[in-house]
Amino acid sequence: MMGLKSAAALLSVVISALPSLAAESKTTFETNVLPIITANCVGCHGPKVRMKELDLSNFAAARHGGESGPVVVPGKPEESLLYKKVHEGLMPPGGKSRLSDEDIGVIRSWIESGAHSNTEKTEEASARVTQHDIVPIVMLRCTVCHGLRRQEADLDLRSKASMLKGGKSGPAMVLGKPDESLVIQKVRAGLMPPKPKMLEFGVKPMTEPELQKLARWIAADAPEVVAASDSAGTAADPLITAKDRQFWSFEPPHDVEVPKVRNGHVRTPIDAFILQKLEEKGLTLSPEADKLTLIRRVTFDLTGLPPTPEEAQAFAADNSPDAYEKLVDRLLASPRYGERWGQHWLDLAGYADSYGGKLSADHPRPYAWRYRDYVIRSYNADKPYDRFLIEQIAGDELTDYEHAPVVTAQMLDNVIATGFLAMGPDSTSEREVNFVDDRLDVIGDEVDILTSGVMGLTVRCARCHNHKYDPLPQRDYYRFLAIFKGAFDENDWLTPFYNRERQQPGRVLPYVKPGATPFELAEDERSRELHNKEIDKQLEALKADLDQAIEPLKKKLFEQRLTEAPKPLHEDLRAVFATAPDKQSELQKYLAAKFGRILKIDIDDLKEIDAKFKGQAEILETKIKWMEARKLSAPRIQAVWDRGAPSPAYILRRGDPASFGPPIEPGPPAVLTNAAFEITPPWPNASKTGRRLAFAKWLTRPDNPLTGRVMVNRMWKQHFGTGIVKTLGNFGHAGSPPSHPELLDWLSREFIRQGWSMKSMHRLMVTSSVYRQRSTVTPVAEKLDPENRLLSRMPMRRLDAESLDDTMRSIAGRLDEAPFGPADPVFVRKDGLVTAVEGDKGWRRSIYIQHRRSEMPTVLESFDLPPMSPNCLERTDSTVAPQALHLMNNSTIQKLAGYFARRVEKEAGSDRPRQIDRAYWLALSRAPNPEEKKISLEALERFTNAGAGTSADPWSAGGEATANKALAKLCHTLMNSAAFLYVD
Amino acid sequence: MTLTRRRFFESVADGLCGAALATLLSKDVFGAELSSEPRRVFDMKPRAPNFAPKAKAIIQLFMNGGPSPMDLLDPKLSLDKHHGDSYFDKVAADLTGPEQAGGIMRSPFKFAQYGKSGIWVSEVMPHLAKQVDHICVIRSMHTLHPNHEPALFVIHSGRTIPGRPALGSWVVYGLGSENQNLPAYVVLDDPLGLPINGVQNWQAGFLPPLYQGTRLRSTGSPILDLRPDVEEPSELVRAGRDLLNRLDSIHKRNRPGQLQLDARIASYELAARLQLDANEALDISKEPEAMRAMYGVGEEPTDNYARRCLMARRLVERGVRFVQLYIDSQIWDHHSHLERGLRTACERTDKPVAALLRDLKQRGLLDSTLVLWGGEFGRMPIAQMNGDLKNAGRDHNPRGFTLWMAGGGVKPGLTYGATDELGYEATENRVSVADWHATILHLLGLDYQQLYYDQSGLKEKLTSQYECRVVKEILV
Repeated sequence: MMGLKSAAALLSVVISALPSLAAESKTTFETNVLPIITANCVGCHGPKVRMKELDLSNFAAARHGGESGPVVVPGKPEESLLYKKVHEGLMPPGGKSRLSDEDIGVIRSWIESGAHSNTEKTEEASARVTQHDIVPIVMLRCTVCHGLRRQEADLDLRSKASMLKGGKSGPAMVLGKPDESLVIQKVRAGLMPPKPKMLEFGVKPMTEPELQKLARWIAADAPEVVAASDSAGTAADPLITAKDRQFWSFEPPHDVEVPKVRNGHVRTPIDAFILQKLEEKGLTLSPEADKLTLIRRVTFDLTGLPPTPEEAQAFAADNSPDAYEKLVDRLLASPRYGERWGQHWLDLAGYADSYGGKLSADHPRPYAWRYRDYVIRSYNADKPYDRFLIEQIAGDELTDYEHAPVVTAQMLDNVIATGFLAMGPDSTSEREVNFVDDRLDVIGDEVDILTSGVMGLTVRCARCHNHKYDPLPQRDYYRFLAIFKGAFDENDWLTPFYNRERQQPGRVLPYVKPGATPFELAEDERSRELHNKEIDKQLEALKADLDQAIEPLKKKLFEQRLTEAPKPLHEDLRAVFATAPDKQSELQKYLAAKFGRILKIDIDDLKEIDAKFKGQAEILETKIKWMEARKLSAPRIQAVWDRGAPSPAYILRRGDPASFGPPIEPGPPAVLTNAAFEITPPWPNASKTGRRLAFAKWLTRPDNPLTGRVMVNRMWKQHFGTGIVKTLGNFGHAGSPPSHPELLDWLSREFIRQGWSMKSMHRLMVTSSVYRQRSTVTPVAEKLDPENRLLSRMPMRRLDAESLDDTMRSIAGRLDEAPFGPADPVFVRKDGLVTAVEGDKGWRRSIYIQHRRSEMPTVLESFDLPPMSPNCLERTDSTVAPQALHLMNNSTIQKLAGYFARRVEKEAGSDRPRQIDRAYWLALSRAPNPEEKKISLEALERFTNAGAGTSADPWSAGGEATANKALAKLCHTLMNSAAFLYVD
Repeated sequence: MTLTRRRFFESVADGLCGAALATLLSKDVFGAELSSEPRRVFDMKPRAPNFAPKAKAIIQLFMNGGPSPMDLLDPKLSLDKHHGDSYFDKVAADLTGPEQAGGIMRSPFKFAQYGKSGIWVSEVMPHLAKQVDHICVIRSMHTLHPNHEPALFVIHSGRTIPGRPALGSWVVYGLGSENQNLPAYVVLDDPLGLPINGVQNWQAGFLPPLYQGTRLRSTGSPILDLRPDVEEPSELVRAGRDLLNRLDSIHKRNRPGQLQLDARIASYELAARLQLDANEALDISKEPEAMRAMYGVGEEPTDNYARRCLMARRLVERGVRFVQLYIDSQIWDHHSHLERGLRTACERTDKPVAALLRDLKQRGLLDSTLVLWGGEFGRMPIAQMNGDLKNAGRDHNPRGFTLWMAGGGVKPGLTYGATDELGYEATENRVSVADWHATILHLLGLDYQQLYYDQSGLKEKLTSQYECRVVKEILV
């Protein structure tokens, strides 16, 4: 390192090179600091690698700073990152030797003396401004009115040329003369952006530094540079090393050989892989489970419902060698399969029937259900996973639906599929105004959903800084934003709702019937109106009925409460009570406020005082809710589509929309690609960029290291309880390593060999011997495989929220199997209890119940239905007391027990032992064992005695009293039992 | 640094609930805690903190809407001096209603110093004035957003966005509960209505749902479905329970080693206890008449808030870890009629809050109970005009606000930090919300950097990525 002697030598160089400055002997960047930096820092912080977006190789760039902002604060070394990092020995990193004290001293004195340069005047150097410093400012502050969609006063400010061309009032700028430039004058005078427009478009005024930058750019004749093209699209990114690329999940799956295991258990290659590891530990697979256990397990697993008693008995009696395989094929062909597995995908997509957001409004998202139906249909049709992804990521760029003479069913599906990217929370319609940061949050959630769910990468971490664990530099995040920009452009934003005043279209597309003529569409519209009118009529009648029931009771309660008020006021209060609020005099209004406790009576108060009214009102309220939900809204599609003209993309330092970094091009993460990322228009003369389509095609290439692995791992987790990679959404360094890496690779290659068929993968997994094992925990297995990572047994599993609710409806004979369509309504009780509303045929499956973020059915939530913020990659299983309270006390569940008992009685007659058998077969897919049967018989006897002579009837259903309360109690108890809730 | 088992027991054994805690801990919890493996079992068993705690429980008196510092606890003489002067240019960017901006506005209230500590209190908080020697006023808080919704998310869960776990969820995730018969994190919201952001204020976010706040309703039945809508004869209830127990024990007998089944059976037992204890814990009719009167139960306008303050004390007494009180929507959000509005808000809350402090102190609970008072942000030194200046209010101000803490290891009788001369911006000893969160966790014996949740391999924390510190200066 540099000793005293060489420091002296250096000084002499300074003196000889710059004789005029010799007297000041000032420390300067080029002379004193650059040699140190070149030797120690530029390897990473140079023009090529730009680690942390920091380039220290020249004065201007060094003063500009990096990802964390400026690294040099002139005069203040203690506040300058450059000094702090080297002083604290944090840089250079990774075991490289610390800079010498002399070198650190030089850096310190350079900053202390003002951080000057000797080749350029300081001001000029940091003032070198190009169009890349200006364009983002103009986009943030001006182009919403003077840009692509609007050219107020015929002015477009998006480029140097268009600024020079100007608008109605002449050119916007005069080169070299900022003070004479209209754009500077208007901003400086506070006339632009105009105040009313700021509120309308969510624009904030230009800051002083931004204005100065603009002025400096104009003063310098508005220089434009051709920036070096961003590296992701062309050559390998210098930030990514060869070693980075060798991480297991960033390399394509290896072609592994199925191990040769000599063991009678081997039915499928899966068994061989699992047995190999088990045998290393001296373990083997558990024996096969009995047939009734198997059919219950696999039916729940594939359809989310239990087998019927008849199905279970038929399977038990079927002795053919392929009885189980036939069962699996039947289940995979059942329409219930898509409703079960579609839900797993909807968790990943963050499906919700409302927009969520930052306020409490949580506006309904009325057209999301078409996407939900698309997912269910796709699963049922076994749509290949690559096609499934391409449609959801870029369906709008697959076919030219906008100019098609006839819209086909496939075209519609393509557009509906893009709802995948429109499911996250969106707060931009919540208030009158939304800002760029709100929009970036919406885009950020969609990037997160796509990258964590489908790619198993935590790309979101790179929004503000380089990823801490994975080779994902910050620029990778902004590459994703650039991919999305054709559809999600924070500078050209679509809010969820259409805004009439601003003539802003919402983020929905009209739905048309495939192949329909204009005449047919008009017919549809007419019949929709007629339908709604008819419903309105019925609603009016129902509401009149309710009012009629309310009025006399309300009067009664009011008179009761009136006794609490001073006597002289009684007549006045009666008058207030009889007068509608909008007709009340000032005095009456005062009284109304003052005596609110007496005068304010709502329907819940009445329910409290009159049980009969409560029953009557709740039936009416339910009917009203149900009818309201049957109304048809104008057909729309919740979609995402490319609008053809994205604004240029820039890296945002620290994720801050007002701190622009270098421009960036669309592309996948650099670590996953070393070839050029080609983007072509999807068809000739397309008004679409094709960016998302290019990405989707890249994502579904057979050699993509993540796509197949992540998906087979998700399926594995659903079938076997735990993923081969435990962290379903993180295949990076901080995720957990695979328990069976060879198996994972084999499965993901097999997935592609089977044409990305998900049903093939299910079949492969559930017909394996591993899947057919018993779930019994043996002492040996508990000791050698405590967490069951080796799968020495099948894990016992709790029914998830939807399976539980659907099963209770199903065994009660009240599951309405009608699929698809708008979501069914929920009822929110005053105390916050949310329940699904019962229809004529009972309840549909939970997947069809309205999923409004703020109003999820209470029972589902308590059984771990996750909040979608923005999505859920893996549900948790909790065991808490409120679950027991709901199952025991919830009136809907009690009502279901009542239905269940009626069904049992109908099917088994009045003989008690037969009733018990039937109830067991329905609820648990098996007969009771002798001990259970004896206990149940005794209980029925005891229930009859204990309940005799009381009128309490919690099981009453459909307005019908319960004939056999003892049986209802038994059924309710079975629905509470561990045997019902847990699947072996 | 991890605490040794022995030192931990010594440190908890002297507290009120220490003995019970020590017994519970002696089972198996402590041993499991020392492992660095991510947790597999999520429950409410008491867990050892990172170091000896000062506080064992928290009562948060959340004052929705943003109480005005310069009219309550941070007097500013300069407001009188500059009354009527324009200050618009300085604050324009922060205003939610710029068109209504008026000049600088003095406080309509008189201030005086109280107690041995001489803490300044406004005339509208006469009851708190008598208890000031117990509290520590922080005048230099600042937050990240000027709107209610994001600011509420910040103060409750650390960032401006929904979906992150609330402070209370983190606390019970970290420490479990000393009472297995009651929820560990109890929310006593106002029967008159939910606050802004609704139930999202006490969500568990990405933590397992069992850590979310449980609303105990202060009127009627305290928990959803705690009792059935239609009560059955008690003999029938008993008979049903017996059948369930017998069937479940047969089921479990045939499945040794399935821990989930034990947990489930335990949850049914807890549900049964909850049915008894939740009602008992909230039954304030059991309190002596004089006690109820001290809080202001049964009299207007304090009854509504007094009931919940008294319930909070009863819950903490029973080992509940975190009790959070809300007040209907926004009683502190005075965009207009500041004078009248603040008087009303204080009349509703001042007496119950002061009684709670006094009661906790008398029972020796204040040492182990941390009481938190405050809102989501402060208010502007300028007037927000509504015609006459008499009707004026103050707009939101995220740059400087005041809250107070008491008990649980916080220095009593201290005023910490300061805003500028007009009360606009925190200038001296600034405390961010993240600092405040870190300090609260510290008082409970939790290191804010070690309390994390492994989400797909990422260590998520309450204080997120923010640089923050424990405010050591306010600790005993």
